[in-house]
Amino acid sequence: MDTLGHILNGFNVALMPINLWYTFLGCFMGTIIGILPGIGPAAGIGLLIPITFGMDPTSALIMMAGIYYGAMYGGSTTSILINTPGEASSVMTALDGYQMAKNGRAGAALAVSAIASFLAGTLGIVALTLLAIPLAAIALKFGPAEYFCLMLFALAAVSSLTGKSAAKGLLSTLLGLMVATVGIDLQSGQPRYTMGVPELQDGVGFLIVVVGMFAIGEVFSNLEDHVKGKAEIIRLHGRLWLTREEWRRSIMPIVRGGLIGFFKGVLPGAGATIATMLSYTVEKRVSKHPEKFGTGMIEGVAGPEAANNAATCGAMVPLLTLGIPGSGATAVLMGAFIMYGIQPGPLLFEKRPDLVWGLIDSMYIGNIMLLILNLPLIGLFVRILYIPTGILLSLILAISAIGVYAINGNTLELQMALMFGVIGYVFRKIDIPLAPMVLALVLGGIMEQSFRQAMTISGADPRVFVGSGISITLLVLAVVMVLLPVVLPRLRKLKEGTENLES
Amino acid sequence: MLTDRIICALTLLLAAVYFYATAQIPALEIGDPLGPKAFPILLGIALIAAAVLLFIETLKKGRGSRAEVPRENLRHLWFIGGVTLWTALYFSVFERAGYLGATTIFLIVLMAVFNRGKWRANTLTAVLFAVGSYVLFAKVLGVMLPKGVPPIESLSSAVDAAWTFAASAAAGVFGR
Repeated sequence: MDTLGHILNGFNVALMPINLWYTFLGCFMGTIIGILPGIGPAAGIGLLIPITFGMDPTSALIMMAGIYYGAMYGGSTTSILINTPGEASSVMTALDGYQMAKNGRAGAALAVSAIASFLAGTLGIVALTLLAIPLAAIALKFGPAEYFCLMLFALAAVSSLTGKSAAKGLLSTLLGLMVATVGIDLQSGQPRYTMGVPELQDGVGFLIVVVGMFAIGEVFSNLEDHVKGKAEIIRLHGRLWLTREEWRRSIMPIVRGGLIGFFKGVLPGAGATIATMLSYTVEKRVSKHPEKFGTGMIEGVAGPEAANNAATCGAMVPLLTLGIPGSGATAVLMGAFIMYGIQPGPLLFEKRPDLVWGLIDSMYIGNIMLLILNLPLIGLFVRILYIPTGILLSLILAISAIGVYAINGNTLELQMALMFGVIGYVFRKIDIPLAPMVLALVLGGIMEQSFRQAMTISGADPRVFVGSGISITLLVLAVVMVLLPVVLPRLRKLKEGTENLES
Repeated sequence: MLTDRIICALTLLLAAVYFYATAQIPALEIGDPLGPKAFPILLGIALIAAAVLLFIETLKKGRGSRAEVPRENLRHLWFIGGVTLWTALYFSVFERAGYLGATTIFLIVLMAVFNRGKWRANTLTAVLFAVGSYVLFAKVLGVMLPKGVPPIESLSSAVDAAWTFAASAAAGVFGR
């Protein structure tokens, strides 16, 4: 009964005029960030954090969450109209969405992605509301050893599931953890890897890495595309609505995509991108005309769009209840929590129910706002695409400078952000995924701390990590995650081999 | 894949450097039994494991196909390199040259390269952005930014800074 009270009180918080305004602002900026090439939700939130210092944390977090899920709406627009997905999670939308636009159904494609996003997003928040309470209750029982195992599992999953190569994912994760060890060690007071640079004593600022890799690095790779040639924009015309037939064909893919998306979102590493791929594959498999996929099938837009929005809600579950983000963007969101001195996790539900439920409930409202922003007003947002890329990318560089300087007013940090930008650009070129590194950087400090706490409690006996059912399960899962990409192709080969033998 | 082999080698090199730097941390055995070195040592070991894993992956891929990768046009690298240097220069005079002037010039040059020929629109955008963002962030939102227009002596030190930067960059590119 108490919980229900908290949930309802959350609406009181979310419906306060000031918070409504920030929800709107977040959704609005999220849509723009989703549309803009060269800047994604992670960079957008990262740039906003220093600017929102001093704001009420609840309002600021409501706004940043709005950017996160709002960007999923905006991301589909570029996929459909210029065949260049703004985020990895809208790659699948481009397959049939762009073809629909070429066939003159751009309006229908945009409409179905907005509707699918809304329905699946709302479904996802309901699931988030229901799942958050029991999960937070379980997480309260976690000690340092269990937390360490949980983080190990999350990082293992992210390493092996993001990107093409598990080894490169692991490399990225380890780099993040190593960067996290720079600075004064809190337990012993010893400076580590600072090379005598005073700015490094507090460690490498997480925002510097985020803005460097996700904003500056992204600008570099967009400049490369720009120099090499550019895409053509399909003008939006025709009615922004679905025919009855299109509507009938979309509804089941939305439901299926929403369910797939939510559960994939909850699992670390899997996230929105894999959810959209899975949803697309499922739709193709259940369709009576699988051969038509890729030529402008509305099912191929509705399913993945539902999946990526539900996945963003799913991804909020581990972030809020366990304090463990599972993707790049949620890692930045966690960084935002920490900047405000708030540790997300099970205790937060007891200490600050107003903040947690205000945030969750604001997502219901934000989704309604986004539906309005993305249906009748999409024509306005599309105009952003007409801004010449050369101007846009230059401005993003200047905005990144503002964002980084605003943190500490330090020009050395600007140069460091630029360095991480170059690293991010190179990593993209050689297929090293960036998300694991950022995630590891956020978790690194807490991870080392819980590792050492657990060892202190046990008197340096490593058996503490296999001391409870929860930690054993998590360790086994972590090992499975690492071995999965190695074993899976072999198993498949083995199966094919036996099938061949039988036939 | 040649690049993957290089990544492998660099990873091992990094692990070596990291181990060396870890050994330099003075360890005082107080408080916790592990000290500041234990976790980094584990990371270093894991890094070597990652390099080995990557090496195994390249072996597998190498056996699959040995097709020649077509030589890519590398012109874009000059652009990226140029933008990086230009941005580094902007960052190094950012404080002393004043936000408004530095940002306007930074943007006009970038746009002149990447949005060629539209100098009027470019200049207008650059000036409007510099002034608009300064008013919005520094004045309205109270965000920390360098002074809009700096005092004269600071300006001359900005020129010095730019000069030092250009000289060191030139030394880096052309000579040793």
